[in-house]
Parts: sequence; structure tokens; C-alpha cells
Amino acid sequence: MNEVKLHDIGEGITEGEITHFHVSPGDSVKIDQPLVEVQTDKVTAELPSPVAGTVKEILASEGDVVTVGTTIILIEKEGSTTETPSNKETGENRPKQDSPKEKKEQSSNAVQTMTRLTRRVLAAPYTRKIARENQVDIEQVNGSGPGGRVTEEDVYQYMNGGQIQTDAESVSEEASTTPVPQAVHPKVEASEIPFKGRRKQIAQKMTQSLYTIPHVSHFDEVDLTNLLDLKKSLKDADPDGSKGMNVSLAAFFVKAIQLAMRDYPIFNAKLDEENEVIRLEGEVNMGLATDADDGLIVPVVKNVEQKSIATINREMKELIQKAKTNKLKPSDMKGGTFTISNVGPLGSTGATPIINHPEVGLMAFHKTKKMPVVINDEIVIRSIMNVSMTFDHRVADGATAVAFTNRFMHYIENPAAMTLELI
Amino acid sequence: MSTAVKTQKLTMVQAITDAMATMMREHDDVLVLGEDVGKNGGVFRATDGLEAEFGDKRVIDTPLAESGIIGTSIGLAMNGFRPIAEMQFLGFIYPAFNQIMTHASRIRSRTLGHFTVPMVIRAPFGAGVRAPEIHSDSVEALFTHMPGIKVVIPSNAYDAKGLLIASIEDPDPVLFLEPMRCYRSHKLEVPEEKYTVEIGKGARLQEGEDVTLIAWGAMVDVIKKAAKEIEEEEGVKCDVLDLRTLYPMDRDLISESVQKTGRAVIVHEAPGTGGVGNDVVSLINDTSFLHMRSPIKRVTGHDTPVPMCAIEDDYLPDANRVKHAIMETIRF
Repeated sequence: MNEVKLHDIGEGITEGEITHFHVSPGDSVKIDQPLVEVQTDKVTAELPSPVAGTVKEILASEGDVVTVGTTIILIEKEGSTTETPSNKETGENRPKQDSPKEKKEQSSNAVQTMTRLTRRVLAAPYTRKIARENQVDIEQVNGSGPGGRVTEEDVYQYMNGGQIQTDAESVSEEASTTPVPQAVHPKVEASEIPFKGRRKQIAQKMTQSLYTIPHVSHFDEVDLTNLLDLKKSLKDADPDGSKGMNVSLAAFFVKAIQLAMRDYPIFNAKLDEENEVIRLEGEVNMGLATDADDGLIVPVVKNVEQKSIATINREMKELIQKAKTNKLKPSDMKGGTFTISNVGPLGSTGATPIINHPEVGLMAFHKTKKMPVVINDEIVIRSIMNVSMTFDHRVADGATAVAFTNRFMHYIENPAAMTLELI
Repeated sequence: MSTAVKTQKLTMVQAITDAMATMMREHDDVLVLGEDVGKNGGVFRATDGLEAEFGDKRVIDTPLAESGIIGTSIGLAMNGFRPIAEMQFLGFIYPAFNQIMTHASRIRSRTLGHFTVPMVIRAPFGAGVRAPEIHSDSVEALFTHMPGIKVVIPSNAYDAKGLLIASIEDPDPVLFLEPMRCYRSHKLEVPEEKYTVEIGKGARLQEGEDVTLIAWGAMVDVIKKAAKEIEEEEGVKCDVLDLRTLYPMDRDLISESVQKTGRAVIVHEAPGTGGVGNDVVSLINDTSFLHMRSPIKRVTGHDTPVPMCAIEDDYLPDANRVKHAIMETIRF
């Protein structure tokens, strides 16, 4: 009998939600045939069958959250003659395995224990004393202090029913006292959205980033007119896109950033606090902040320094498509060294983006508007786009970040200059 | 309950003279010895008038030999006298270090308690009076490290008299350090009669809930000033402690105070590395760790010799540096 277990399908995941079984008990399966679809914090993955044989038993239900190492399916190997003993064996094992519900509880306990071992709580001794005296497990308290430190107030708020709840209560109280014209709008049912999976992952990453990195953002305006002209002439030469010359602006942005990094490599780096070094990365792996149905996800275009703008464009399209259809593999999201966020199509004109920890910078591109600008003392109409550049002020300073942005803008505003720099 | 006590307004150095005269009048075995302590009355006039009153058999001018002064004092002390040896400056004590280290501090344990060394070594010390090199050293930490010696540092005239009398009465060697900056900086009402201030007990000069300030000697005035200003500027209320004795240290006072405030700033003019401030940090760590709201701060002299007088003020902790440290602990 072969056990199909949830294994770590990338980057140290601890649990996954079973979204779909492709097989039922009694089905015969081939080697590598997909058996079950699992949604983790990061990806949707299919677990293939390790052997050819018959599905004997399914030990979980769709919707269950299972931890790594949990057996999900039992498969009897083809040509196996030792049915009885192995059946007996599993029969003995079964009662110990508990019902799916109990198993779920167990698994969440296991996760908790893991978290408790790995999470280091920052708190002053006096705060710990308060927590201890009030029998509060300080590791359960969310810190609101500098660097995520748990403060005395956090402990008191936790004792009074949690930090977030208090806010929600006061809001709902306020809402109930405000008279609402009921006939005009249908009443919106109060409801709860589970805070887990991708959303929770995003929240944790953002909190970690914002608490550990001193963020500074600056803004600038870049003139896209020349680049748009170039883009148009490329498209005119390849109207059906068959020659791959219909290139998105973002692909040019990626290339321009990579070229600017040759002069300012500090923005393609990671701060390793523990070893007290700033590690300049050899390759430029560009993260693309992408708005998928489940929330923000960041696939990575690798080695853009070795790729043409057309290749970057093609790979970006593929990755974004995969992100939208939840088909990204863990390897698609690994190794980013800088991130861009192209929010222009959604319509914003400025932002203070949060850095994709542990990277050093993030650049966001906003809506492009036709605007009157003065060139050679004449008012002309140009296509202007706002950019927001956020950087880690521990690693770089404002002047360097502005210089970096200026270099990026130089390439964007003079696309011909960019071509001179290409291999 | 109060009986009228006759007092007189004295500077610290006058109170020190008064303490020695008081004890010499009371006890024939109390002697004073040192360089120029007789006719000249001492480099800071601390022994002024003593030779005239008690004669040159009890107020003894010695050769310029610190090792000899301390060695002689040890011998006298072991044989029934109570010598008060004066070092002209603490920075001149190094030639006598061997005598203190190898004999004064350990006669009691070496003789299993048969002999003690009831002597006092008085030494002016500290920067801020524009003295030349060596004269301004603040090396109290060399002596707190040595078991068998008590280290006492008054910061005002009243404490100086009471502590010096207690030191003369103490059966063991006491290093009595006199901050030069305080010698004539202010006057206090000092009782004319004999009284003691207990060795090993610090003093709380001001009550406050927010942060504990700890200092000794000349730095006491600095933390008092910082406490006053920070209350006016930021509304921060400081618990102000004058340790008065560095060894043995007032464990109870320090821990009671920091357990109330949860924050501490220690100020001394000696260099930070190996300074007595580190022992205060350890004491707080041992007694009051769970009460601390923020890391303990130290404001100290720099890890250099006390510089020449033109830049002496940059070396010494001042109220601004202390206030900065206070706000760092408050805003942590």
C-alpha cells in the first residue's frame, strides 16, 4: 500500500487546503497521474501519483486544511499480492488517524507549535512581566511598537479581547447609532471573511516589511511620449503581433530599471542584518506585483540582464497569465531582487508602496496622462506618467534613490539611448 | 522630638577638615599623614589648621612617596592607630597601588580576622577644575574591583563630614574619594557635633516615577540639573539617586527605585569601559530585570585619558547628554 502524503511543495510550506480530488476510491491510476489539487499560501499544486495502481482510500475531504506529512490518499500498487497484511496494517493505523475533523485540529496545533518555536517576540522585560502576571501568552499578542515590539498597551488590549476586535466594536457601535435610510439601499448582511491563506500571507509579509524596513518614497514625472511613439512604430510594423514586436510599456520599464541598476547596484541588493552585510545581487530578477483574484502575488522574471525587451515582454505576459489563473509554480515566485508595481492601468497617480522584503526597492508606475508641459519655452502636450520609488533607507539614501530614478527616466524618455546600452 | 542642633555653613572641603578635627579631638589614635598636610595645610587646604591644633606628631608631613605613605599607614593601623592618609590627587595613587592591593585590602583575610586595617585614604579626584594631566583621573573602578576595600564618595558638605567620620570609625580600609569640583562649589548647613552617614547607603535626592537617575560625586549635580530641566521641558519626573558609596553598593535603594520607574540612566565621568556604571547595570539586571521598560543607559566619560583643559568640558557628561539619554529611555 502506498501512502500519498502532502509534501513540502516549495519554500517550506506547512499546510495546504485540499481544493479538489481528481480520483475516487476504486479508480485505477497511472504513475504521475494527478490525484488531488492542493492550495497553499502561495500556489495551487497537483499531487501526482507515485505509483500505478488502485485508489484504496481517501483520508481527507475537499476543504480540509492538511499539514505537510499528512497522508491524503492510499493507493494499492498494481500487482500487489500482499493485500491482507497491508490492509490489516492500515486497519490498525486507522483508529489512530482520527476523523478528519480531529485531524484538522491536530494539524492546526502542530502549526501553532511550529510558529511558536520560530517566532521571536520582541518585548521589554516589564511587558513580559505584565503578560506573565496576567497569564497572557505573549507570543499570541500582536506587537504595535517599533520593530513590531509588543508594548504594555498591546498586552492590555489583548486581555480586553484583542486589538482588532476593539476597533471593530467601536465602529459598529457608531454605525448602529447613525440613522440609515433603510428603504433606499438594501441592507448589507454583516459577515466574516476568513483571514487565512493568501490574504494572511500578504498581511504577514507586508507587516514584516513595514516594521523592519524604514521606508522612504519619492515621486517623479516621466515623459512617455517618445517611448509611446516607439511602441507605436513597432506595432505598426507588426500589426498582428506575429513578430513579437507588440511590446508592453512595462517591458521597457523593466529593462530601463535593470540598466539603471548597472550604475546604482545598491538597489539590486539585500540587507543581511545578521551577518552585517549588504549583498549586491549578481542577477536582476524582476518581481511583478500582480493583482490576482485571491490578492497580490509577485511572479519573477529571471535574469532580465541577459534578456531582450521582447523576451522580457513575452515572459512577463506568460507569468501574469499564470498568476491570473492560479497556475504559478513556486519556482516562478522565487529569487526576486527588485519589484515593480504597474498600477497605471488601474488609474492611480501616486502611492507609497511597501517593499517586497528583503529587497531594497520597489518602483510603481501610475496612470499616464496627456498634459501641457513647457519644453524650450513652448507649451506642448506630452504623455506624462507618475512614478513612485520606495527604498530601504537603511541601505540607500535619498540622493542615490533620486539619481537612480533619474537614470531610469533618462532611458524611458530617450528610448534610443536605451538601445545603445543593449547587448 | 527635634533637639536644636548647632550648625555652621561649610563648603565640602571645610566639612572634611571639620570631620578630621572632630575625630582627632575625640581619639588620640587618629593621625593624618601625607605630602604637605602639616604646615602647608594640604594642597586643597583640607588639613588646614590641624597641625597647629594637634602638633606634628599627629599631623605628619611625609616625603613625596605615596607607596611609603600607604605602607606606613598600614603598619600604624595594624598597631592600634587610625591613620588618615592623604593622596594629593587620586591620579597619584598608582605608586601606592601595590601596597593597597597586596596588603591593605587583605590583611583581615590573611590573618583570619586577627588584624584589621582601620585606615582611610583620602584622595581628591575628577575633572572639571582645569587641572593638568593625571590630576583629573576618575579611577574609582580600580578599587571597587578589589575585595576588602570600601569606596566612599560624598557629593556635598553634609555627607562629606558624616561619611568621613564613619570611614574613620570603620575597622577596614576605606578609600574616601573627594570630587574636586564639589570642594567649594556650594555651602551647606553642617552640624558642629559629631554625626555619621552610614557607609553603603545611597540617598534619594528627588522622587519621580518615570526614570531613575544614578550618579556619585561631581556628577550628582549634573543629574540634579538634568532632572530639573527635563521636568520643565518634557514633564518627565526623575527619581534622583546619589550612591555615596560605590562599594558596598546600595542594592536596595537602586532596585527599589528602578522597580518603580522601569527605566535607568547611570552617569559617571570615568570612561564607560570597565566603569562602575556597568556594575550598576548588572545589579539592576540581577534584581529588577522583569521591571525594565527600556534598556539601561549610561552616560560616561569617553574611553580616553581626561583631555587637556581646553576640551575638558567635551569629555565630561553634562546635563544635555543626560537629558538626551533620559529621552531615549522614555521613547524606547
